Amino acid sequence: MQFICEMSATVKTNWVLRVLTALFLGLAMAFLCNGWGYSAKLFPIPLVDTNFISTATVRMSAADLIRSGGDTSDFECYACHERNKPFKLKFDAEGDVLVPKEHANIVMGHGRHHRNNNCFNCHDETNLELLQTRDGRHLKISDSPALCGSCHGPTYRDWEAGVHGRTSGYWKRDLGPIDRKVCTSCHNPHSPPFPSRQPAPGPHPLHPAVDGKLIARSES
Amino acid sequence: MSDQKPPSAPPPFGEVSRRSFLRNSAILASGAAALAASLAPLRELSNYTSVELFLQKHYKELTPAEMQKVLDRIAREVEQQYHIRPRVRDYKPMDGVEFVYCLNLTRCIGCRKCVHACVAENNQSRNPEIQYIRVLKMPHGSLDMERADHNYAPASVPEKGFFYMPVQCQQCKNPPCVKVCPVKATWQEPDGITVIDYDWCIGCRYCEAACPYFARRFNWTKPSIPKERLNPEMSYLGNRPRRQGVMEKCHFCIQRTRQGKYPACLEVCPAGARKFGNALDPESEVAYILKNKRVFIQLKEELGTSPRFFYYFDV
Repeated sequence: MQFICEMSATVKTNWVLRVLTALFLGLAMAFLCNGWGYSAKLFPIPLVDTNFISTATVRMSAADLIRSGGDTSDFECYACHERNKPFKLKFDAEGDVLVPKEHANIVMGHGRHHRNNNCFNCHDETNLELLQTRDGRHLKISDSPALCGSCHGPTYRDWEAGVHGRTSGYWKRDLGPIDRKVCTSCHNPHSPPFPSRQPAPGPHPLHPAVDGKLIARSES
Repeated sequence: MSDQKPPSAPPPFGEVSRRSFLRNSAILASGAAALAASLAPLRELSNYTSVELFLQKHYKELTPAEMQKVLDRIAREVEQQYHIRPRVRDYKPMDGVEFVYCLNLTRCIGCRKCVHACVAENNQSRNPEIQYIRVLKMPHGSLDMERADHNYAPASVPEKGFFYMPVQCQQCKNPPCVKVCPVKATWQEPDGITVIDYDWCIGCRYCEAACPYFARRFNWTKPSIPKERLNPEMSYLGNRPRRQGVMEKCHFCIQRTRQGKYPACLEVCPAGARKFGNALDPESEVAYILKNKRVFIQLKEELGTSPRFFYYFDV
């Protein structure tokens, strides 16, 4: 301080000017090089898998398969079975039906009780390519809502109103068509509970934490 | 007599010596450079501020011809930035329509497909991430928001003992966000959708603070949307790309629903938990739900916001 006070006015002015020059130059460099980072670098967030934004149904119903020209060989029963020959089911000691190995892909899981473990509650034993309802109506294999509705009345009523199940297309009917899905577009008739699935990624935190500690934003 | 130099020749330009000239000009130059550099952030401003935008009128004051000019400007700006020619339109509300959303809490499995379908449809920023729908996981038997978790990431959903509750803009009949907006950049349309004019918003975030549902999002930085994920079907009040510093939120996919289509979150829901329609039409799905289903009226109904978003149960 003593030193500064002893200087003449001109020398003092020169010193102040030099310091200011250095400060200005430093600020200029900092602004140019974006030293404050007004567009901070962000953590990379991977784009979501397009499967998560696909509107496809969980499975293909018989009607969907027939309409889209897919593989319908599963519904050609008489490629293996013999016509006009009654089919005999085998049951285990607990009264559950024994699924033959040709149909090993079928999981018998319709209802929590075991009373529904009988193929011919829904399939017609006289014509395997047809379905039969509890009240004895015979239906085509693609006509699942009528079959399911013969037991699941309230759900069928909701489905008819467009409230149960998926819809897509137009809510305003005079502007375009509405696309309705049938029961087996989402439910496997042999094991109807809606399948669980992997959830899409949740929201990414603004400041990601590693091992419970917040980490600084990287430059990557 | 020999010529004698004067002992000290006067400097050629008044009192300025060579030394002081160089020093002063160095100070001046660095000062000018610093000023220019400090104004450098303004260069970015020109990317999304034009004279047209600055002089643009409020949405409700625009004549159809002026609106067309605005839509052309937006299309031009989007094309400049993404090299994709969008179809920007301004869809008007239909007569005799009041939109209502119903969500079946019994059916929702918490798969978050709606969240990402919404992001894809509505051109939200991918990084930083902006999502309109937040799916809350809550234990069975309570509806306690304090115990809700939105960061769940199990191998598969639904998990035993929990239910899932997606929350998005509730399109209130009595919207607190509209009341607090100091510039009338957000308002309720006749069909019940609360919209935001992104060109009028000043980014004060009052509406974000007023919303009891955490439905509004702020663009803290310039939104980034990968070109290949841009949805070119845009609308003025809907999914056109936003600027930095404006609010955005769910608008019931205005660009879809005002054309008679279902919103994107409904179309993608694998469980069919989401239902949408015109509450004034007694034949609509939502009218059936409100009449026949066990509707747990509205979220936070005690606040008096009267949402148009209803949660209901099957049994």
